[in-house]
Amino acid sequence: MIMVTRTFADLIAVSDPSSKGMHMATTLTINGETKSFDAPPEMPLLWVLRDILGMTGTKFGCGIAQCGACTVHVDGKAVRSCVLPVSAVENRAITTIEHVGNTPSGAKVQKAWLDLEVIQCGYCQSGQIMAAAALLAATPNPDDSDIDAAMAGNICRCGTYVRIREAIKQAANGRQS
Amino acid sequence: MRILASLVVIAIVVVALGVWIIRGPSPLDFAGGTKVALADYRAGKPTGVPAKLEKAGIVERGEYLAKAADCMVCHTKPGEKEYSGGLGFKLPFGTLYSTNITPDKETGIGNYSDQDFLNAVQHGKRHDGARLYPAMPYTSYTYMTDEDVLAVKAYLFSLPAVRAKAPENTLSFPFNQRWAMIFWSAVFNPDTRFTPDSSKSPEWNRGAYLAEALAHCGECHTPRNLGFALDNRKKFGGAITAGWRTFNISSDKATGLGNWRDEDLISYLSLGHAPGHGSASGPMGEAVDHSFSQFAPEDIRSIVVYLRSVPPVLSPDLPATTAPVAPASHRDGVTADARGKKVFASACASCHGWSGESPVSPMATLTGTWAVNDPAATNVAQIVLSGTKRHTPDGALSMPAFGNAYTDDEIAAVANYVTARFGTKGSKLTAKDVAELREQTAE
Repeated sequence: MIMVTRTFADLIAVSDPSSKGMHMATTLTINGETKSFDAPPEMPLLWVLRDILGMTGTKFGCGIAQCGACTVHVDGKAVRSCVLPVSAVENRAITTIEHVGNTPSGAKVQKAWLDLEVIQCGYCQSGQIMAAAALLAATPNPDDSDIDAAMAGNICRCGTYVRIREAIKQAANGRQS
Repeated sequence: MRILASLVVIAIVVVALGVWIIRGPSPLDFAGGTKVALADYRAGKPTGVPAKLEKAGIVERGEYLAKAADCMVCHTKPGEKEYSGGLGFKLPFGTLYSTNITPDKETGIGNYSDQDFLNAVQHGKRHDGARLYPAMPYTSYTYMTDEDVLAVKAYLFSLPAVRAKAPENTLSFPFNQRWAMIFWSAVFNPDTRFTPDSSKSPEWNRGAYLAEALAHCGECHTPRNLGFALDNRKKFGGAITAGWRTFNISSDKATGLGNWRDEDLISYLSLGHAPGHGSASGPMGEAVDHSFSQFAPEDIRSIVVYLRSVPPVLSPDLPATTAPVAPASHRDGVTADARGKKVFASACASCHGWSGESPVSPMATLTGTWAVNDPAATNVAQIVLSGTKRHTPDGALSMPAFGNAYTDDEIAAVANYVTARFGTKGSKLTAKDVAELREQTAE
């Protein structure tokens, strides 16, 4: 996996201040709340969440939508916030790891994750939980192929895949461990 | 003796006929209307700059025209100074490097007189008398007026001189024989300035001048003949250029632009994206970023008027209609190519969705694009290899390059899966095909 390190400063540097306004007032609906802030339209949602709004539960992994650590929900679908320009998500419902426990599928996933002690180092796990919650919301009883299709883009360096798969199944049928 | 003489005459007639047949029509012959000398055309002003720049100085006018002619993209190596040349063009018979057109006296065009510059741009003749290769589209620029060419020169001469010598070309015999271009040029360079067509609207004439003389659309979108010159019998019918497929931009309703709405064409040219038609990538992305996005709105509209008039040419390998949206679930739809599906699930699905309609942005929607409906999957593979970066509109979604993250085999598999799932017919790319595509765009 290639790792690309991009900083907020790099991102600002690539935007062209002469031709467009550096910052624009932006309003997003995040976890049911309206948040307003100034940001360049091309700033990825992940930067807004972490650096501007201080919501650090969503993680930066690769920066090129290839590891899944930054997964959030936009209109209920799992998307990678590291490549998603903030201007693309205005007027859409954004849910992050901070709030997903308040959704029915998110609550089930978090409980199963704790019951099965899925997490090892934990860095990828907010993304894993967001992807799993979106999967269960759309497909309440996923089989292995559904889990593969939905979770293949979420990478875990600790290799917790087996427990992730088990926890998704447990969350789906409400089984207690 | 008489027999020999008649044989020679017959040979000359055959060659002339062959040349005449291969050369085919000129780019504007299809219009067939009444040509009038530019000086006698009163209905509008097809040449020069748009009205808002009419009063501007020569450098500013030249800047607009240089952008409209898209000089910079070819004459700049990525990461180097603009217009300083050195960009390599990989051809089947070697690599050709673009030249430094900054006013540096030693390595650039600093010593060019006005006539030298006109000779190069309109006639393909270098300062030292040597011939240019037609990778420099002088067969298109030849239609530019002297005034416009010299405005471009004034703009280039206003730029800082950059000392940069382009690498030597590595063309193989016989292509390394520059003198042979004298004959090529005699046959294939129309060597004539633009003449308006009084039977067409002023907008059409402006569009024709912009599309043919400046933007040189045909150089990529018109297939080439046996002599590597444009085959205008299939004008704007699409071709393969630099490893990318340039699609049909004739007025064909099925496989060309005939069914695009005006606003789609305007949006595609000025922003690089039209809803339901995808985003400009690769060389067309560059053309939008550096050229079309800088056009005045009335100039974009003129190009649209002109494009509409180009006779339909069918691309027989493309489907009559693009494929509809794919099923929302990964379970439904094509099941072939498990490996391609696996790569798609891990690398692509989060932005493009399983239906092909992106959950993220219309810019990432695959449904309806020619790239996924091309059974050769050329551009799908290219975009996977090199990604695509749109600069417009503000905050446009971009796609990372996957060329270094996946093997040729995986990229072939995912391209085959994508064309089968979102297009009308799955491609059959192999790892070798992908390796060749990488090779063609290595510069």
